[in-house]
Amino acid sequence: MTTRDLTARRALGGGLHLVAVLAILFFVLFPIVWLAITAFRPAAEAFSTSPVFAPTLENFRAIIGGENDLTAAAVNSVVVGVATTLISLPMALLAAYAFSRHRFPGHRSMLLAMVATQFIPGVAIALPFLTLFHDLGLLDTRTSLVIVNLSLVVPYITWLLKGFVDGLPIEIEEAARLDGCGQVRLLWRVVTPLAAPGLFVCAVFSFLLSWNEFLFPTFLAKENATTLPVGLMTLVRPEGVAWGQMAAAGLLVMVPMLVMSLFVRKHFAQGMTMGAIK
Amino acid sequence: MVTATAERSAASGAAPAGRPPGSGAGRGRRMRRAAQPYLHLAPALAAVLLTTVYPLVSALVTGFRHWRLNESTAPGGFVGLEQYQRAFQDDTFFNSVMVTLWFTFVSVVLSVGIGLAMALILNRRGPLTGLTKALLILPFAVAPALKGFSWRFMMNPDHGVYDKMIDAVFPFAADVNWLGEPFWAQMVLVLTEVWGWAPLIALMLLGGLASVPPEVNEAARVDGCSAWQRFRHVTFPLLRPLLLIVIFLKAVFSLKLFDQVVTITGGGPGRATETLNFYAYTQGFTFLDIGYASAVSWILVVALGVVATGYLIVMNRQEAK
Repeated sequence: MTTRDLTARRALGGGLHLVAVLAILFFVLFPIVWLAITAFRPAAEAFSTSPVFAPTLENFRAIIGGENDLTAAAVNSVVVGVATTLISLPMALLAAYAFSRHRFPGHRSMLLAMVATQFIPGVAIALPFLTLFHDLGLLDTRTSLVIVNLSLVVPYITWLLKGFVDGLPIEIEEAARLDGCGQVRLLWRVVTPLAAPGLFVCAVFSFLLSWNEFLFPTFLAKENATTLPVGLMTLVRPEGVAWGQMAAAGLLVMVPMLVMSLFVRKHFAQGMTMGAIK
Repeated sequence: MVTATAERSAASGAAPAGRPPGSGAGRGRRMRRAAQPYLHLAPALAAVLLTTVYPLVSALVTGFRHWRLNESTAPGGFVGLEQYQRAFQDDTFFNSVMVTLWFTFVSVVLSVGIGLAMALILNRRGPLTGLTKALLILPFAVAPALKGFSWRFMMNPDHGVYDKMIDAVFPFAADVNWLGEPFWAQMVLVLTEVWGWAPLIALMLLGGLASVPPEVNEAARVDGCSAWQRFRHVTFPLLRPLLLIVIFLKAVFSLKLFDQVVTITGGGPGRATETLNFYAYTQGFTFLDIGYASAVSWILVVALGVVATGYLIVMNRQEAK
């Protein structure tokens, strides 16, 4: 093979490669871009595929304080997400610290049990809580959502955080202990600041899981306490779906999570596979 | 890795402040040390017990009881295995099992296959590969319920933008009503899953590909191996454990599919997209038969338990390496 042939082949290969990469970009981004475009398109032209249109905020006005107000659902989403995160983080940090720094009877089985909870189907959790919360008068409250969200979040971020604590140098803790630092102070003043990046990642995941959750609010909080993903259902009317508003609401559901996901990108795979993939 | 850290901490904990072992204070201290991890675990364990173990046990018990909410708000008498028998004799239950298995099979094959292709493409350096890798995570961060609405919108058989694109390439598909035909409605559900998962799987596999030493591939190239041979005999064997994990993971999440069924098809057309999770939901919610729905949800628990066990075994073997 002559050098010219080789160069030509390489150029062709590079060209094909670029086409393939562009195809991936299109596949990944198009639905997101299209939703964003539709959100700013006049509602009457929601189905238009023309790239030229007069951008409008009418869809956003309709869902924020307008005819299909979703503000309450948005507030619920934020409150439930923040509460779930604030409750889960300290629990997870303590548990992760125990798993990471101690060996004790039941260590391995408890750790595996944490992973196993991720395989439980949502209905098997939601159905019993449906009747329990009914009896307790908690049905359709944000409290009920925070409680069931713990089943998703606590095991997941405990595992994630354990990985972070494993990576912290134990020498610092030993030095602090020699200086007479008690256990509580050690956790609060030494471990927490050191684990801060991990805590941040876990906070993001915890909020994201809670924000995107659909099955639990569908079962337990369909009206007053409902969150945004279920709130989207109110835009489905007998006469058809209000697609312009759906896109606008979808954008509000999506954008915060897209931004957050970019922060924790590296930890996604690790968390999903419970550390099997580094 | 776990063991190393723990042993280190155990060793360091054995002689704090140089107290002679066996003295009274030392023993008390050691007792406290032994109790400490459990104290730390208590809040998280309590939360997990309350929110997963309690409902699982409760659903198991309810599955053996007659309980229709339209008859009574309190659970009725025990009926033994009656509701499980009913499930296995019910055609609509059987249908949902088949729908779930079919959906799981197709979405695992497509998500992992496309994810692998993406990973191999992006593993080669070239323009835009860095940016594309950075953006791979985005679809997965979109709420599944919203994914459903978004694809339902784009696959609208009259005006949807994807429908138009497909029609432009395959004119014979112009009359296909994507959500009106059982097969295509299932495929639209599969597509929403593939969109979210294939890029995530690519991201995971890229991590694995990065650990394949370039010298190995280079050596194979020098020995005259074709690109396919290099993939078949070098890359693939190194990637296989990772692929297994990814397949299990995707299977578990596919078996649990619920959100998009609600936001795209509502189980239709007919019962063509009624997954097990959705079936249990309609039994409990629409027909208010909590007892039967609980029995069905436990069938799903067992099915997922089987897959989960396989997953944990594979993962364990990985960790041992």
